[in-house]
Amino acid sequence: MHKYEIAVLNALKEHGWSTEAKLASLCKLGAAEVSWALEGLKTKGMIQIEYEKVASIKVNPEGAEYADKGLPEERLIATLAKRPLRVSELDESEKIGLQWAKKLGLVSISGGSVLLTTQGKEKAGTELKAGTVLKKLASGNYAKETAAREKETISDLSRRGLIELSERNAIKSIRLTAAGEAQQSEDSGGEYVGAIDRSIIATGSWEGKKFKRYDVNVNVERRAPAMRHPLKIAISSIKDAYLSMGFKEVSGPAVESSFWVFDSLFVPQDHPARDAQDTFYVSNVKQDLQESEEYIRRVKKAHGKGWHSKWNADTASQMLLRTHTTSVSSRYLYKIVSELSKNPDKYELPIKLFSVGRVFRNEAIDYRHLADFYQSDGLIIGKNLTLSNLFDELTKIYDFVGLKIRFKPSYFPFVEPGVEFSAYSDKHKEWIELGGAGMLREEITGVNRKKLSVLAWGPGIDRILLIKDPSISSVSELYNNELGWIRSRRLV
Amino acid sequence: MPVIQIDKKYLYGLVGASIDDKKLADQLSKLGFEVESADKDHVSVEITANRLDLLDAVGLARTLKNFMHVSKRFHYEIEDAKPAIEIEVDRSVRKVRPYISSLVAYNLDISDESLTNMINFTEKFCETYGRDRRKIAMGFHDLDRIKPPIRYASSSDSSFIPLGGSKEYLFSDILKNHEKGMRYGSIIRDADMCYYPALSDAEGVMAFIPILNSERTKVTTNTRNLFVDITGTSEFAVNKTCDLLAASFMDLGADVKKVRIKYQSKNIDTPLLEKRYISIPIERMEREIGVAIGFNNIISLANKMGYEAGAVGKKITFRLPEYRLDIIDDQDVIEDIAIGYGYEYINPTPIYYFQPGRLDESTVKNLQLSDIMVGLGFCELVNSYLTNENDNFSKALIPEAQNAIRMKGSKTEYITMLRTWLIPSLLKDLSASLNEKTPQNVFEIDMAFRIKDGAAVESYKLAGVSIDPRANFNSMKSVVEGLLFAAGIKYELSEYSHNSFIEGRCASIAEKGKTIGFLGELHPKVLKNFGIEEPGTGFEIDLESFYSKR
Repeated sequence: MHKYEIAVLNALKEHGWSTEAKLASLCKLGAAEVSWALEGLKTKGMIQIEYEKVASIKVNPEGAEYADKGLPEERLIATLAKRPLRVSELDESEKIGLQWAKKLGLVSISGGSVLLTTQGKEKAGTELKAGTVLKKLASGNYAKETAAREKETISDLSRRGLIELSERNAIKSIRLTAAGEAQQSEDSGGEYVGAIDRSIIATGSWEGKKFKRYDVNVNVERRAPAMRHPLKIAISSIKDAYLSMGFKEVSGPAVESSFWVFDSLFVPQDHPARDAQDTFYVSNVKQDLQESEEYIRRVKKAHGKGWHSKWNADTASQMLLRTHTTSVSSRYLYKIVSELSKNPDKYELPIKLFSVGRVFRNEAIDYRHLADFYQSDGLIIGKNLTLSNLFDELTKIYDFVGLKIRFKPSYFPFVEPGVEFSAYSDKHKEWIELGGAGMLREEITGVNRKKLSVLAWGPGIDRILLIKDPSISSVSELYNNELGWIRSRRLV
Repeated sequence: MPVIQIDKKYLYGLVGASIDDKKLADQLSKLGFEVESADKDHVSVEITANRLDLLDAVGLARTLKNFMHVSKRFHYEIEDAKPAIEIEVDRSVRKVRPYISSLVAYNLDISDESLTNMINFTEKFCETYGRDRRKIAMGFHDLDRIKPPIRYASSSDSSFIPLGGSKEYLFSDILKNHEKGMRYGSIIRDADMCYYPALSDAEGVMAFIPILNSERTKVTTNTRNLFVDITGTSEFAVNKTCDLLAASFMDLGADVKKVRIKYQSKNIDTPLLEKRYISIPIERMEREIGVAIGFNNIISLANKMGYEAGAVGKKITFRLPEYRLDIIDDQDVIEDIAIGYGYEYINPTPIYYFQPGRLDESTVKNLQLSDIMVGLGFCELVNSYLTNENDNFSKALIPEAQNAIRMKGSKTEYITMLRTWLIPSLLKDLSASLNEKTPQNVFEIDMAFRIKDGAAVESYKLAGVSIDPRANFNSMKSVVEGLLFAAGIKYELSEYSHNSFIEGRCASIAEKGKTIGFLGELHPKVLKNFGIEEPGTGFEIDLESFYSKR
């Protein structure tokens, strides 16, 4: 007999059966060890166990969130008590709330507006029954008897997927058999081998004995593997796509001058994208333009010709958080073109570069809007590159990550022709825009296209997962950092 | 990008043919514009920021007619060169709003629909291309109610009856009290406060520029002859806008006449409607698009896109449509040929290429470190770079550093600066995961920011936090030692003092005598500040020394 079995048997002899937890504490063993020992004692015919079915209730993450913030219908009627809402302006959670509130007769819809009923007005701001029960369940202090009383509410919550109901076998009572009573309180060797230890293997003492069996259906705790973040995994896979196509990775600053983010890319100085409304300007880093006078003159000239307005160096020197990673491409483009103009053999053409990095928007953040997120940028510098080459490269890169894409004309100040590409999402039943692309203007490269042409594109990363992963419903979900969410992720 | 709503019946009337919704969406998509929504009577279209000549039904109809081969019209000319009226420009506007252009349109049949269309167009155009009237503003007047001579000048405060009003107001009152004055007043207030730019005729003020027109000269459905003024800060933009409007009025069947603008230094007659040509070798177009389109085909594609075109030797000469504001040079024309050809018909062509790809060294190293951390049982998190003083400093009990990079004009108080370290981000995440099973082991590898010698410094950091009832200094030390050993770093630990950690349970990590990080037991107050009530430990390492060249 194993020492755990001896301990458990002795405890049963001395104190009788009450609960597994009690037994565990008497034996100074863990719940798993006790349950294992009981199995062993049962197999050896020393005890008889009587089982009963016990309902167990587990609150799901969504349920836990509602227990914390209130049910969608509770929140909806609380909002409605303050102001009426149009059906069309409801967000996802409010839509769910609407469905339940309607069922409960708390709201009615009239002419596209959601209105509180008399009953709804009474309940606004209070906890609904389902909410009260859910809260108790989530906090864990919920007696069995109450569970029986609130049966209906509980089955409602289960149907909504907020809680999980299951039944498990629990021990009702344990009785010692005659063999058990007669068993000596010491290990007599026995004919079964329990837990394997070093000495059993070294001495071969298991020989001639049977191995104790495990119940393969026993409940164990599922281990949550430590994992890389889903977004970082997605970034790795897009990087693999670029690598497979022969691109070299480059990077550049996130805190950048307007010059590299906008001016070098031929974005006019009065362009709305440059408004502080949309862009984060840095208040405590200031520096003059670092670039060569010749280059600055060239940019100024291009703006004058293209936009017919004065170009201001102070505007260009303002520091900001980059709004796209195309600023990285711009820096490398300038460096490479300058080097090539001094030494045409410096690089073998075409040169393929990519970067992945964080970009920023001055947004009022909520669950749908993020103020910083990832973007990638691709760049090919070569001779006689064509729009059809651009289509080929992008088609292959996205094929690597499993998306079929299509192209249509679009406009960005830095490319001509300009392209927008999108992928069809079976999940959304529509084409989802992935990003912009095109052939960089000569105003940016500073070189006639006869000598050098440059293909460029700058798609987001997150939309790839939005389309591919059935469990993701909005881009901002990918930036979720709740441990429970990451622990419940599956591979896609 | 601007979205316009168009009355379908009005549009089809202008095109001269009815188009079903699906076909319309398809044709617009081929041109690069997205139909956002459509109902029985209206269609909403997103127009790209370059094609502001398409901000109304008239412009859209003009382009669709050529594109769908319904009918052709390539240019817009005024045969009668004699100006119908004159505007004298006083030098006093030079500092405020120096440029003006104008046209008159006779025999216009203004219906309710076209009036609505005209007003919507003006508003959208002045908002977008006109940068909210700062760069361009325009006004429509009933020509028959104007008594020449017309003068554009800055004057001292005067009064007039504003559009929609019944009594006189002073300019200064309008700036203070009228909705339009409050909204657009800053455009002229920046420049000069004592003088108000205005357009006047013999009877008085016609318009307080660029804010409000007068009631006296307003346009109604009875108006037959129209006077248009366009003012702004860019002579090019003012004149091109006038060309665009001229084309639109001609499309509506009006008889458009020029207006003489008498500047101090020169006279010009607007709309200029200058003939502009661009010649491009066929070979260049085919080389850039990557398709052998062929000589004849290019000319018909040019027509489809609204250009008159002809061959001269191996070049095609394009006459640029007068209403286009966006064509800078041949690159823009080549794009139009590609659009005319159809992006969906351009076959992807491979680039002949044989070089291996390569990852940035930091990417490779960071991935290796992530693998080690996952192996040590830590889950990876990805946090925002953006934070605020409270989260980054106060909650962690460290003093606010002056060298944090701060932003101005943020829309939310939660975003005021770039994070200087990672541990607060992780603690914030864990405060949202209180119900999860312990141990909660998390890490992040990403950027933190600071200012050094006046310049922004961005560096990769690796931070880990463990929330665990059994967490203590030694348990985290064993993690950090495992990590540093596997990463091949020769390190030394020494006693260290850091406000976020318990005194006497904190160590610095040094490599070759240089401190690269720290680890320790998080102070109970810090944990509590983040809403965590279990013991916690953490470490953070600067990764810059891990990379050989950066």
